[in-house]
Amino acid sequence: MVFHPREGRSGDGSTSVSRRAFLTGAAATGLAATLAACGSSSTKGAGGTTTTTQPLALPRPNDPVTWPLYQSNPAIADGLQPEKNATLKLFNWVAYINPKVLKDFGKKYNCKVELTTFNTMDEALAKLRSGQFEFDVFVPTVDVIGQLVASKMISPLNHSYIPNITQAWSAFQNPFYDQSWQYTVPYTIFTTGIAWRKDHVTEDPYASANPWAFPWNAKYKGKIALLDDAREGLGIGMLKNGITDLNTSDPAQLQTATNSLLELVKLVNLHIDNNDYSSIPSGQTWIHQAWSGDMAAAQNYMPKGTSVDVIGYWFPPSGIGPVGNDTMTILANGKNPVLAHLFLNYLNDLNIALENISFNGYMQPLTGVTPEVLVQQGILPPSLTSTVVLESMFATGLRELELSPALGAQYQQAWLRVSSGV
Amino acid sequence: MSVESRQGRWADRMQGRWVWAGFALPGILWLIFLFIVPFYVVLSIAGGELNAIFQSPEPIWNPLQWTGANFVAVFHDLVGQTAFVGPIFLRTVVYVAVASVLSLLIAYPAAYFVARYAGRRKVLFLVLLIAPFWVSYMMRMLAWIGLLQTSGYINRALLDLGLISQPVNWLGGKPMTIILGLVYGYIPYLILVLYAGLDRIDQRLLEAGRDLGLNRARTFWRVTLPLSRQAILTGMLITALPMVGDYFTNQMLSGAPSTAMIGNVINSQLNTASQQSKGAALSVLLLVFLLVPMLYYVVQTQRASREAY
Repeated sequence: MVFHPREGRSGDGSTSVSRRAFLTGAAATGLAATLAACGSSSTKGAGGTTTTTQPLALPRPNDPVTWPLYQSNPAIADGLQPEKNATLKLFNWVAYINPKVLKDFGKKYNCKVELTTFNTMDEALAKLRSGQFEFDVFVPTVDVIGQLVASKMISPLNHSYIPNITQAWSAFQNPFYDQSWQYTVPYTIFTTGIAWRKDHVTEDPYASANPWAFPWNAKYKGKIALLDDAREGLGIGMLKNGITDLNTSDPAQLQTATNSLLELVKLVNLHIDNNDYSSIPSGQTWIHQAWSGDMAAAQNYMPKGTSVDVIGYWFPPSGIGPVGNDTMTILANGKNPVLAHLFLNYLNDLNIALENISFNGYMQPLTGVTPEVLVQQGILPPSLTSTVVLESMFATGLRELELSPALGAQYQQAWLRVSSGV
Repeated sequence: MSVESRQGRWADRMQGRWVWAGFALPGILWLIFLFIVPFYVVLSIAGGELNAIFQSPEPIWNPLQWTGANFVAVFHDLVGQTAFVGPIFLRTVVYVAVASVLSLLIAYPAAYFVARYAGRRKVLFLVLLIAPFWVSYMMRMLAWIGLLQTSGYINRALLDLGLISQPVNWLGGKPMTIILGLVYGYIPYLILVLYAGLDRIDQRLLEAGRDLGLNRARTFWRVTLPLSRQAILTGMLITALPMVGDYFTNQMLSGAPSTAMIGNVINSQLNTASQQSKGAALSVLLLVFLLVPMLYYVVQTQRASREAY
């Protein structure tokens, strides 16, 4: 197992911000954040003028979206040679790719690879909109693809450079959020479940009648946390109440979830943070809503003398729980589009992906990435195979997807109330 | 005296005047670029709109076109049926008030000691007081997390001393931890300001008080304390204002909604693109609120300097 970067990123990790963080501890001060937002508000910078005022399409599994192609934003031609003496610029989440993979890619294609990282999607988009950066490859979440396409910030892909797409699970060869994968290839996949410390918590979510209600247990007051993410947090509030449409526009359902969460805040003096990957191993929390990839990497954070076997991760065996994935895209104002295509192809190769997962914890949706392989290669401890994301889960799983601006604001407001405890 | 030399002197005087005024230039530029311009940007965002596609704030630069929508929204968060910022605001004021009083109780004797009794070791004590600044605030808070953990040194020491029978979950969202964190974070500033004020007090005034028959306690009460009033006011202001906006201490030492302060609300809003303009509006309102103690301070300072002459 290689050294995991989140170790040492910050003492015990309590401040460090996980990649999907909303509250960034180390992030800039409020003023700086506002300034960044200001400097980036021009939508012209990144290679296209945005005049559309029409609302963006909202992709759903039962309502897939084919994004428009624009003549002013074409894909590259077939059969081009990779750029010479080039530096491929990758814009990615913090600690979300194995540096060895980058080095190997550079060796293979005789180029340099430069990695720039971000902590939140908002921060990343603000930087990209400023148009001052010439990144080649960007790793967006599914919910912002529409924005990126409409503003012509990402280029359509030329499929002839990416034969490895055939290694991806079939659902990802024609995803609902980008039909015919015109703009994206899949990157990582994850589930959102509940992690718990078997040595402190006597109950077992697998034996519980309503495992989503697992955190609602006053016995472990002060030792329970949810993820600091509006959608994930409200999501567990909905699931606890049997609401499985995590994109619901029913105000009553949103209210039910909010009320349950406010009750949880008082019941257990709830914590809200994205340190699941470190605070469960350290024992700072005993029950934590968690991302599968963070728990898969938990063995890197165990204190000396504590076995990783004390950690459990629950995701409904029925597969009816939150699942998600990130994507890789090519930015329109990058200088190395050919290398960028080759990079997307490279990351979708099984052996490279396994190398990457061994560092990342987060899996990639390729045929051949199975629980058996991951355990056999020592990437995953046998006690945490429940963190593996199976292809079938993308058929049954629930997705937190983009909402209309007005509804999105309601979700944000509800979450702000929960995280303020009032 | 010849005309020439008189003119020469006049030129010298003018030149001198410009040179001295020029010393203010760096300060003025600093204020313009690092306060006035950014603050105008915040106002433009608070009075602005959201981009239709990105849901990110779109500042409006012309003050005549500013909209009040964000301020109205923030107002409804502050008071009314669905208000949640109001209670948080009160909580913040209480935390800061308790932390300020605690700070003063600790800082005043420390500053008094250094100013009056440290003698030749004054410099040493001052250096020791500034020493915490050699380590960044974040690192110090991280150290506290280590110390305060359930199995950390503080719990172990308290257990060994028999003061507690069960480890205390200090980081489990306790208001006390936050308040002590605030005290710890800002007290060096208070001590330094108090020291500067106490050190300046003319010793002869104290001697005069003693000569006139006051005992030590009454000298302190009748002479030292009134003379250090201005330093207390300055120090409290210098520490309380940043405490009100502090979000980091809370995030590090608690992370629980039950202890969230106003800074945490603003920070949450600023970290979500679609909420940033509301965050900007809330910041502006907070600033207006904080102007009240600021103005009080200005009035008091002016009165004090008038009394001094």
